[in-house]
Amino acid sequence: MSSANNIGGLVSSAVLQSARYVGKSITKSFDGALVLSQVDITFEPGEIHSVCGENGAGKSTLLKIMAGVYQPGSGELLFGGNRLVGLTPRTAQQRGIYMVPQEPSLMAALSITENLFLGILRRGRLRFNANWTSMKREASAYLDRVGLDIDPQVKAEELSVAEQQLVECARALVHRCSVIFLDEPTSPLTGKEAGTLFEVMGSLRADGYALGFISHRLDEVLAISDRVTVLRDGAKALSAPRSEVDRAGLVRAMVGRELITRERVRAHTDAVGRKEMLAVENLTSLPHFEDVSLSVRQGEVVGLAGLVGSGRTEIAETIFGLRPADRGTVRLEGKLLGHRTPRACIDAGLVYLPEDRGRHGIFAEVEVQRNVTAGVIPRLERFGPLISPAAERAMAEEATKKTAVRMASLGTLMKSLSGGNQQRAMLSRWLLAGPRVAIFDEPTRGVDVGAKDDIYRLVGQLAEDGLACVFISSELGELTITCDRVLALYEGHVVGELSGAEITDTTLGALVVGAHLK
Amino acid sequence: MTTLSTPPAPSAPAPAARPVGPGGGLGGTALGLLRRREVQLVVAILGLFAVCTALHPQFGVSSNIAFILADSVTIMIVAAGQTFVVLGRGIDLSVSPVLGIAVIGTGFLAQDNNLNIWLALLLALLIGAGLGMGNGFLVSVVGIPPIIATLATLTIYGGWQFIICGGQSVISVPAAYNNFGNANLLPVVPWLVVVGVGVVAVAYFFLTRTVTGRSIYAVGNNADGAFRAGIPVRRVLFTTYVICGLLAGLAGFIYLCQIGSATSTTGTDSNTNLMSIAATLIGGTTLLGGRGSPVGSALGAVFLSEALQAMISFRINELWDPAGVGVFILIAVVADRKGAPVRQMFRQSFRQPTRPAQ
Repeated sequence: MSSANNIGGLVSSAVLQSARYVGKSITKSFDGALVLSQVDITFEPGEIHSVCGENGAGKSTLLKIMAGVYQPGSGELLFGGNRLVGLTPRTAQQRGIYMVPQEPSLMAALSITENLFLGILRRGRLRFNANWTSMKREASAYLDRVGLDIDPQVKAEELSVAEQQLVECARALVHRCSVIFLDEPTSPLTGKEAGTLFEVMGSLRADGYALGFISHRLDEVLAISDRVTVLRDGAKALSAPRSEVDRAGLVRAMVGRELITRERVRAHTDAVGRKEMLAVENLTSLPHFEDVSLSVRQGEVVGLAGLVGSGRTEIAETIFGLRPADRGTVRLEGKLLGHRTPRACIDAGLVYLPEDRGRHGIFAEVEVQRNVTAGVIPRLERFGPLISPAAERAMAEEATKKTAVRMASLGTLMKSLSGGNQQRAMLSRWLLAGPRVAIFDEPTRGVDVGAKDDIYRLVGQLAEDGLACVFISSELGELTITCDRVLALYEGHVVGELSGAEITDTTLGALVVGAHLK
Repeated sequence: MTTLSTPPAPSAPAPAARPVGPGGGLGGTALGLLRRREVQLVVAILGLFAVCTALHPQFGVSSNIAFILADSVTIMIVAAGQTFVVLGRGIDLSVSPVLGIAVIGTGFLAQDNNLNIWLALLLALLIGAGLGMGNGFLVSVVGIPPIIATLATLTIYGGWQFIICGGQSVISVPAAYNNFGNANLLPVVPWLVVVGVGVVAVAYFFLTRTVTGRSIYAVGNNADGAFRAGIPVRRVLFTTYVICGLLAGLAGFIYLCQIGSATSTTGTDSNTNLMSIAATLIGGTTLLGGRGSPVGSALGAVFLSEALQAMISFRINELWDPAGVGVFILIAVVADRKGAPVRQMFRQSFRQPTRPAQ
């Protein structure tokens, strides 16, 4: 342990050595959707343990449970051999477990010193006063320890995001924590800033701290980890020492979703010559994606394959008018969609099933019936100004039958449905709008296995009926069984197009990890 | 397992939907019905009436019933408007001076110029809608949080009310106003109650059966999801404040007919803000938005009026009224479906959201 700074309160190496933190068969669901299932994980002293996985794989949730932010649905937490029950962020910190959140959460208007000592202000001789002199001195030493050369009296709001993250790390040290979790710390950082953070993480590891690191950047994971755990759909897909994994193995574990069937949903359709329904040209929204062009014909399923950060969702949101475009055009059946808003797109025949169903899709406290008709309220049958409940009910009934939503009744509240049935209800909502083009963004995320299969077949059926579909997914396996053509995205660019029998897990896998660029 | 032409059908081993939660569902069993706030309130209103009548037979006479009902009409109408705003996950703290300005604006013209009663009604509605537009503009166009925007307009509109009065008061209004305000349709049913019930019925149908009304629930429940479903979120929010102002204006007109006088603090001195929000919350509309109904709010207003009248019967000093109202708000919020919203508020303010951010 580096004692050059002689900081009072740094954890002794004996304590660090005993701080082994184990999560055993952790399970958790939110609003009926299972997000973690029987996950085991161990953080060893003196190790950097990376947790990776796609969006929604449950990595943040897992570490948040271990840091006391959420309560586990079942399973147990063992810290240095002791069982932790009813953990809160505060008691976790007292035990020595600290989580650096995705967005730094320093108090902007307070000084670095005060941020560091928040909750454990050192008292002065009078007991009720704070001993700022000693805290300032200690603060400088801690900042030094994390490689920051800044006056501790500076206010937190004057720091860059990278500096704030390092201050969060220093805060973990001030609180004598021996286990430090970092939730996607590098996503807002430049490469150089990330390098500094990794140096600090490396030196903490050398001192014997146990570090948990969430990232979807595989290069980083491979560069700094001692051990890697991959989560997929809330379950552990892989856990191995760094020496035993390589890039390809990680990608396989992240995206190799188990499928009931490897058979194609329908035969490959060659849509050349059919009517072009959606034409996107040179669509650009920096820094997310640049010069993306794509064309979807009637009855065709076109896949967008890409890992997190490839710009896949941003592209869909830009087409649907949720984000401004820097340049580029979107045409629907040859007609230019100029000023795009969701309403204008829906009315023109384009619908978008969002990736994050909970935040962007469902109305949890509202009945299924109204969830299903929410996209077409202005089109409901009316007597004068009043919507006809019977007609609406019949409409919702038919739409939910088509997508096989299982529920007690149409009056059931949305939040009490399982993830798969919520997704089916969302599909019914969009089908009611009578779309001619549909963008499905990760339609099988957070959905049980049986329901996934139904969703693939439903998409296939809709395409047979003439719908032009865009199927966005990071699960390469599902693209191979549903799509007629696939565009591969890597860091905001289309890096390849495959069609028909060329679409395989291997060919797609190479494109989405940017293998051609290495 | 799958073939090309099989239409999507439920695959065999799939979990059935879980049973409906308490209070959920359009229809329901007798027990489910009892969990509805409207039913609970009717039971509470009748129960309180029975207890008070048993102890004080005077409480049950028809004139007292008529008084309780008529007394509740003003708050009933303001609360119906408040319900629109709260359903959209907002709050309107400026209804006191909106009502006040509608009362004195029409009151002075009625007193000094013998303004026609229908024109007075129209003017009150215009004043209310206009001031409501101010709130709607601040919240939905400028983007100020509702509690701050309407706190500011509470003060601004309150100041205007003083300026308009210029030290004068409305002392009396023409007979047409008094006649309307105090006439009975039936011995126990004042005309005003018919107006109140009519307003609540229109509000109910508007909220549940019109395009805008349905959009209000969606926006209050999940504004982001509503926008993605093609609902014009800002326009919908703007509408809720205009309607709230409009109904506060209407309540002002009714106040004028009923009371026949007004001052620079009318509306504020009778705690219109507190009472309308209390009736809305007691009626089962949650401050988290997207759930509740104006029928509940109306019953909440009747319950409050009855409870305050009961306090008079029991000779409790009226200085205790606001404290009593506060206690009812607390009971209503805690009793709200297993207290879930309360827990949720705690989670939201002190911990992470209940859903993981992805």
